[in-house]
Amino acid sequence: MARSYLFIPGNVPRMLQNMDVYDADVIIIDLEDAIAIEEKDEARFLTCEFLRAHRPENLPILIRINSDEDSLMRADLMAIKGLDITGIVLPKTSLAQLERFTSMKPTNTTDLEIYGLIETPEAFFELDKIAKHPRIKGLMLGGEDLSTHTNIDKSLDEIAFHMPKSLLNFAAKAAQKEAIDTPVSSLDDAALIQGIKQTKTFGFDGKLAIHPNQVPLINTHLAPSKTAIHEARRIIIAHEKKGSMRFSLDGKMIDKPIIQRAQKLLDKAHRYGLLAGDAHAL
Amino acid sequence: MADIITVGTLESSDCMVSLKPSKTLEIKIDTIVHEAFYHHIKTVVEKILNEAELKNIHLSLTDKGALDYTIKARLKTAIERFKEANNG
Repeated sequence: MARSYLFIPGNVPRMLQNMDVYDADVIIIDLEDAIAIEEKDEARFLTCEFLRAHRPENLPILIRINSDEDSLMRADLMAIKGLDITGIVLPKTSLAQLERFTSMKPTNTTDLEIYGLIETPEAFFELDKIAKHPRIKGLMLGGEDLSTHTNIDKSLDEIAFHMPKSLLNFAAKAAQKEAIDTPVSSLDDAALIQGIKQTKTFGFDGKLAIHPNQVPLINTHLAPSKTAIHEARRIIIAHEKKGSMRFSLDGKMIDKPIIQRAQKLLDKAHRYGLLAGDAHAL
Repeated sequence: MADIITVGTLESSDCMVSLKPSKTLEIKIDTIVHEAFYHHIKTVVEKILNEAELKNIHLSLTDKGALDYTIKARLKTAIERFKEANNG
């Protein structure tokens, strides 16, 4: 589980070489939308040569492959065969697209995690089945394409995207998979903070980023705050002392869902290294 | 006969590779780090051309501080396009 997923184009050496200094939790090397059709082969060669020679250690790396509409998916899969990557981002994910991908040969990609990019209206009518697919690790909301396919102008009012955001998060959570929110296309910090606030409100685990400058704000705002960690810690300590799943703390009733939420928050804080030196918190 | 094949950019950390048919093997390398890396770059280029069994070719490489993997990737792309253009 991660906070920030940063797209970097597969055809820009300067960005590939710096991928580990951007502090993103996950890097997505893009072979799809960021790459012009006449540069697809350049991006494939560059990405593969880079990963063979300079793959950063301990950094999860996904590759967004092309969809099969234009037969580029097979070429991508042939190219990435054998590379040390964490998984792939599958564009325009649907059950049919998953079937196409998982049956495509020759590949040795059977052990790769698949993040399904949900960006067509059709996908929302089979979202639960997509989320429960055994190869799916997480669902990502592709807001720009979805906006194009549905005529929703999300630049006017984000409220139009409330329903797809909720549906995606519910489907992911019901299947115990990760839910990752669409990126903010503006490079303005205020717009990004507003977008991240919505990401949290809708219960997403992480957020896509389209520029390295977006990563620090996403990491900061999607990590548990000091206040929240402090409160969660008090709840867990009180729960352990009382040995009960139902008690009062500062005049507020604490029961099982609140204790579970506090533990989840501390687990998340631990994952992001925010509990250093505090063994009792876990 | 193919026109000139050009791959890559002149941005920092990248290189631009051009290939065109020639009666002999000609290699021209222009690099911002000539003193330190000209011979190294030439060795990388020659190895890839050798592997691709290309002998009748004029190669021009303009380097803007590219690492080996970038030179290899740009050259391999150019070779693949060159072969496609010349062998159908």
